[in-house]
Amino acid sequence: VLLAIEADVPRRWSPATVLSAAPLVIFLVLLLGYPSLSAVRLALTDPLSGAVPSGANFRVLRDDPLFWHAAAGNLVIPLASVAVELVAGVGLALLLAARMPARRFVRAMVVVPFALPEIVFLAIARAMLTPRGYANGALAAVGLGPLEFLAPDRAATYAMVVLVDAWHTTPVVFLIVLGGLAAIPRRIHEAAALDGASGWRHLVFVTLPLLRPAIVAAVLVRGLDALRIFAAPLVLAGVEGAPVLSTYAYHQWSDYGDDGAAAAASVVLALVCVVASVPLLARRAARAELV
Amino acid sequence: MRIWLVAAVRALAVLVVVASGALPLWLILKQAVTPDRESFAWPPTWTPHELTVENFRALATTSEAAGAAALSATVAVVVTALTLALALPAARVAARRRRADHGLETLVTVARVFPPVALAIPLAVVLVRLGLYNRPSGVALWLAHAGLALPAAFLVLRAGFAAVPRDLEDAARIDGASPLRAFVHVTLGFPGLASAVAVVMLVPALVIVLFLEPAFRSGLFAGGYR
Repeated sequence: VLLAIEADVPRRWSPATVLSAAPLVIFLVLLLGYPSLSAVRLALTDPLSGAVPSGANFRVLRDDPLFWHAAAGNLVIPLASVAVELVAGVGLALLLAARMPARRFVRAMVVVPFALPEIVFLAIARAMLTPRGYANGALAAVGLGPLEFLAPDRAATYAMVVLVDAWHTTPVVFLIVLGGLAAIPRRIHEAAALDGASGWRHLVFVTLPLLRPAIVAAVLVRGLDALRIFAAPLVLAGVEGAPVLSTYAYHQWSDYGDDGAAAAASVVLALVCVVASVPLLARRAARAELV
Repeated sequence: MRIWLVAAVRALAVLVVVASGALPLWLILKQAVTPDRESFAWPPTWTPHELTVENFRALATTSEAAGAAALSATVAVVVTALTLALALPAARVAARRRRADHGLETLVTVARVFPPVALAIPLAVVLVRLGLYNRPSGVALWLAHAGLALPAAFLVLRAGFAAVPRDLEDAARIDGASPLRAFVHVTLGFPGLASAVAVVMLVPALVIVLFLEPAFRSGLFAGGYR
């Protein structure tokens, strides 16, 4: 039934269609739906009396300075990270779209950081940034430093988390924008050149406007990923060094054993992500880049 | 004058890009082949002064390593099979039926943007309750990884199916191939789809992590803030 050729008259929901789609739908609905509903229930359960619904867990968050710290971090780090990635990714795509020697090799090198498993990449980034790491080694070699790159809760630490995350994920923006560049017909560039546009005018008035869909897609895709940022701040700075909502929830669960507060923080983050994904759901083209 | 400036900026950017990719790769390799006393020496060395296989030997002799390798391999195989089994039919329907596509796409998008931490913690609680947590077979890992891999697999495979001309499948059926035969030999054999399947099968390349384990074992990751 599954593989039968469907009749040419399109029926709306033929048995074959339903049977083919059902396993995926059931699996995802159970795997996403059950835990998220139980997270909501857990978040609304009073940890002492077991009463439902109760705002006790959310009051714990409200009175915990670290939660507000994490909420602020969850705003600042993703925004800064996406901004850095966008500038670097668009710049690199424009640069490497041109003909040059060894272009394929250079493009491959751009993608390497993203191709490495995240945890491996972060471990190496940490080895570079610790007080006796490679960065301070390089500084010492020219008579500078040592600098504290990862001291808890300093601006420099946040900057390092942003830079390392951007280093890891700029390739995503690069690939999306490179695809966008390739989709611009050559005739348009030729026409603009004939009309006398050159250099940065060509870039600002011709190339960038045509890249808009690709850039929008990159911002949406990366922005949503950045909201869920977890491993980079945790590995580089620890839970209290650069808190975000994901690491805060993990901290509550793993270090304090406070399932309720962890669930409440997760629910807050999930709501933020779902609300932020509305523009993405409204844009078909952007979703094609979600891979 | 200006053209030289542009060329210089471009050369500098290319240099930075190559370094940004090559540096982490190089350091992983270097840490893996140097003994601990060099891996954490001050000042740090940029090239290995002392080569050793001790990290790899330690990996080979640890009792967990063999188990970890077996678990990684099992999880990779099972997750790939599970992901393909669930995503292939759905992606095929999505590529052919617009209405089904719309619903599937929305579901997959929500799954893709959902924060893993919001799922992981309650999922752990549920799996503990069902007695599936921390089982040697890694059942919990199968389910969780399949959940993580599915959205990407669906999207890649849908694009692959969209590239297969429907007439080809119909022609195979008219020539007397069974539906299964037509699917396996014509649809799955089509280059666009074949490469999509290959991409999906590469996704759970968990085994890679295993090769890098010397770096973790030598304390690079757990070494703390020093």
